Amino acid sequence: MLQVALANIKTYARRYIAVLLAVAIGTAFLGATLAVDSSTRATLKNSVGDAYKNADLVASVDWQLTPADAETSSLTMDVVREVRKLPDTSGVYGNGFFGADLHTGENSYSVMMQPISPEHKLSGMTMLEGRAPLGAEEVVLDEKHAEQMGVSISDTVAVTAMDEANKTRELKVVGIVETTTDPMFSSYAQLAMEESAWERLAGKDFGMNLLMIDAKGDIAQTKSTIAQYFSDKGMADVVVNTADEQVLKDVASMTGGTDQLTIILLVFALVALVVTGLVVMNTFSVVIAQRTRELALLRTLGAKRAQIRKSVLIEALLIGIIASVIGMMMAIALMAGLIQLLRSFVPEMSYATLALDARGIIVPLVVAILMTVLAAWVPARRAMGLAPLAALRPFDAASVKNRAGLVRIIFGALLTLAGVALLGFGAYKGDLLIAFAGGLLSFPGILMLASLFVPATVFGVGKLLAGRSVAGRLASLNAVRNPGRTTATATALLIGVTLVSMIMVGGQSAKATLNGSISGEYPIDLQVQQDTKNSDELAAKLANVEGIEYAAAYQMRTVNIDFLNGSTSEEYAMIVDPQSYSSVVLDQKIVPKDGELLSTWWQNESKFAEVNGNEVKLKTTSASFVENTLTEATAKNLGISDKDGMSGVAIKVDPSLSNTEINTLVETIADVANVENSRVSGGVMEKFMFSQVIDVLLMIVSGLLAVAVLIALIGVANTLSLSVLERTRENALLRALGLKKKQLRSMLATEAVLIGGVAALLGLILGAIYGLLGAHSALSSLGSMQYEIPWAQLAAVLAVSLVAALLASITPGRRAAKLSPVEGLATE
Amino acid sequence: MTSETHQVTDYAVQARGLTKTYGHDSTRVEALRGVDVAFARSRFTAIMGPSGSGKSTLMHCLAGLDNADAGEIIIGGKNLTELNDDQLTTMRREQIGFVFQSFNLVPTLNAKDNILLPLSLAGKKHDRSWFNVVIDALGLRDRLTHKPHELSGGQQQRVAVARALLTRPEVVFGDEPTGNLDSRTGAEVLSLMRTSTREMGQTIIMVTHDPAAASYADTVLLMKDGTLVGSLENPTVASVTEALASLAE
Repeated sequence: MLQVALANIKTYARRYIAVLLAVAIGTAFLGATLAVDSSTRATLKNSVGDAYKNADLVASVDWQLTPADAETSSLTMDVVREVRKLPDTSGVYGNGFFGADLHTGENSYSVMMQPISPEHKLSGMTMLEGRAPLGAEEVVLDEKHAEQMGVSISDTVAVTAMDEANKTRELKVVGIVETTTDPMFSSYAQLAMEESAWERLAGKDFGMNLLMIDAKGDIAQTKSTIAQYFSDKGMADVVVNTADEQVLKDVASMTGGTDQLTIILLVFALVALVVTGLVVMNTFSVVIAQRTRELALLRTLGAKRAQIRKSVLIEALLIGIIASVIGMMMAIALMAGLIQLLRSFVPEMSYATLALDARGIIVPLVVAILMTVLAAWVPARRAMGLAPLAALRPFDAASVKNRAGLVRIIFGALLTLAGVALLGFGAYKGDLLIAFAGGLLSFPGILMLASLFVPATVFGVGKLLAGRSVAGRLASLNAVRNPGRTTATATALLIGVTLVSMIMVGGQSAKATLNGSISGEYPIDLQVQQDTKNSDELAAKLANVEGIEYAAAYQMRTVNIDFLNGSTSEEYAMIVDPQSYSSVVLDQKIVPKDGELLSTWWQNESKFAEVNGNEVKLKTTSASFVENTLTEATAKNLGISDKDGMSGVAIKVDPSLSNTEINTLVETIADVANVENSRVSGGVMEKFMFSQVIDVLLMIVSGLLAVAVLIALIGVANTLSLSVLERTRENALLRALGLKKKQLRSMLATEAVLIGGVAALLGLILGAIYGLLGAHSALSSLGSMQYEIPWAQLAAVLAVSLVAALLASITPGRRAAKLSPVEGLATE
Repeated sequence: MTSETHQVTDYAVQARGLTKTYGHDSTRVEALRGVDVAFARSRFTAIMGPSGSGKSTLMHCLAGLDNADAGEIIIGGKNLTELNDDQLTTMRREQIGFVFQSFNLVPTLNAKDNILLPLSLAGKKHDRSWFNVVIDALGLRDRLTHKPHELSGGQQQRVAVARALLTRPEVVFGDEPTGNLDSRTGAEVLSLMRTSTREMGQTIIMVTHDPAAASYADTVLLMKDGTLVGSLENPTVASVTEALASLAE
């Protein structure tokens, strides 16, 4: 059967292009995801582990291991010298630094003073030019900063070490070393001095961060020797690791977040793979439908059922292998390209490294191949069930009735019900985890039930839109001729669109809700304070500045506040006109009523306070950039002195301003008020940052899910071109009976748009529901929910689906139209 | 019945009491009504009859492609009605050959691979000398590497005949094997089939409605309304036409 399978692939190669492409993209996605993970780690190793990447062993102090009654150990130069005397060690040096100031003729720089030992591997440094420093008057400087400072070999620099003497020394630069790639230190200039001279400056007890050791023979042997030395010395908190162990430890402590990123990416890759699987299943179903007679002939000639299945699965296996290898190469090329870009455009990332471990290559390949074979399983079973007699039937009708299995419908209904119940409960309780589980159950359930509503919807919409056009009516009939295939094609697209629109709707609502709660947190966009007693005039001026919606003046007066719990304090109070103030703030909760004090001391539980000895009602707020606030009327009643104090203006900013426009506005305000920039403060910047972060996240997620939509659209094109092949005779008959080429093309286009449009529409509705419920579950605990549906974005998704479906019909339509009526009827 | 005209000891295919019904109630068609028939070894038999006489159904059942409702079919000492699908498949592969009206060949394989297909499905090596005998007899030596679409209709049918003969089956079934061919190439294929019974001792059973094709057979069986109604030995075009005409009365 291998022979038959190979011959089939060779002959029908074109039919498999779409499957190949779909599987390849899915694999590329998964591969790139894993490569992102491993490359991040490798990049971190290359940077974090820079100090010890050439050493065998690393000793460091872990203060968590320090016994309660002992002092934390210190890796001093004495320790370095003693370790050098131990057997089995070579190339022992310490890595540590103290801060100093370096003065060139023009400027001062903060530098890190490090020890260097010419006899011991230059203490891990790489000499680029010149020689190692000797004595107390010579130093080497790192390349990047030497260039920045304009210092070269044999120049003299003045260095003030922050030792007790605070003495400035004239030191001669005798060499240039490579700049470290460790992100923690690379921004400081590194100045290295011969280690005993360094020790005199640093002090005998100065502890270094790391101790690097090379083994003379067996690394494990040396490791235990050193560990024994430290425990003999009572330094139980010194840990000796191999360089690799140390890297893992350091990277792990730095990258709690990258693993999460990988998990999120993996979820999306999984979605892409499921969609790919549907496309594969679909294509194979069609390919097998086309080969019905051929397969039946094989059965007649003595191919057993198992052999037929094997042949189909072998085809799938071969395609899976070829496609996943192509996909993996795409992934590697993509990652290599990205890293190259990163290196050339972001100089700080020059140490970015492409890393592919065996896992990162094997996992995507295996997963993609398995998925392809699994997806071909159902069509293969169908092929297996063919009766040999099918070969003898002169002509096979292309219409297929597929009964949706009762088991599948019952199972799907149960899943849907359980999922919807959980989802509703999760949304009601505001528990994202429960709602997520509900989504995980209900979505596959709905997909199982898709055969119940997708063909019906396609047919209904088709009938509605077709009107009297023959091509339109034929199209809507053709679209549901094979309900199983239509369902599968639509389902692939439905998944992608549902997920994309879920993220869009959920994200938009999350953004609106978060904006609401951020407004509560930062209720005043901007405020400017000045030393004059009154700022009415300034407020009037500012109200006319472009970009400012409202400006309200307030006064700052000193008052005595007694919170009636034993503590009194003298504080500034902001005295506002409640009317103008409430038009400026984003959250009315921070506007006090007459006879009320709004206090920022929000932990306070008492209901009343005394201001200057008079009792007022107390209201608290946890909002930022807000002061204790009183209304003008209250202040008058309490007889707050108007003699001296400051004043300010609260400002509401046009919400459509961009980041840079806000920065400019701050400067304008400072100019108008004639104060320093620093006296303009407010929450607008923070607010802006938050919504930008959400926007970026939404964009990334939607982009990732768009890959799934792309694969699904390949599936639409595929299904259509295969049905055209299948209906060659029939299309030729229609042509013979007088259907024009144009009508034939428009019939196919209508069919594609029907399937694509209905799938996208259903996906949008489902996605919107999931998105709203999801956002509710996640955020309702934060306070008042705000639901927003990004109509424009959803319309764009629908439009893209329709246009892509239309594009998908072009090639098959051309092929169908090229056929002459006679030719088509002659085709066997 | 016609069975008494054959020697009882040397039958390639025997059937007893074959019954087959299609459809339910109003659409009910009795395609076979208790057919008893036996086909002598090394003979070329044609089954004829008007449309709907049940001749195709009889052949499908005899070849193990369709299940009879009742009755038994013996080929090579085995009762087909008692075999499961895999056993039946093996039976088809080893004991039965087929030549159809059209769509005889797997379009993706060349002529040689098509001829060898039943053997490669069984995972068996072919007998090289027998292969040479068969392809030379059918004049296919120059065509072995051609794909079906590169062959003429007559050549395709000859490839199908070669495939059927290669396994030296108990019986070769032909379903209108010349139906798609012009009369000259049709005659060529039919003589080849007759030669194979005469010289290789191959048993052939062919269904046809063409008296000219039936005249190549040793025996013609006549069917009407699901039963066998007569037979002709050493038929000619004229005698077959006459017999068919008498059936229509």
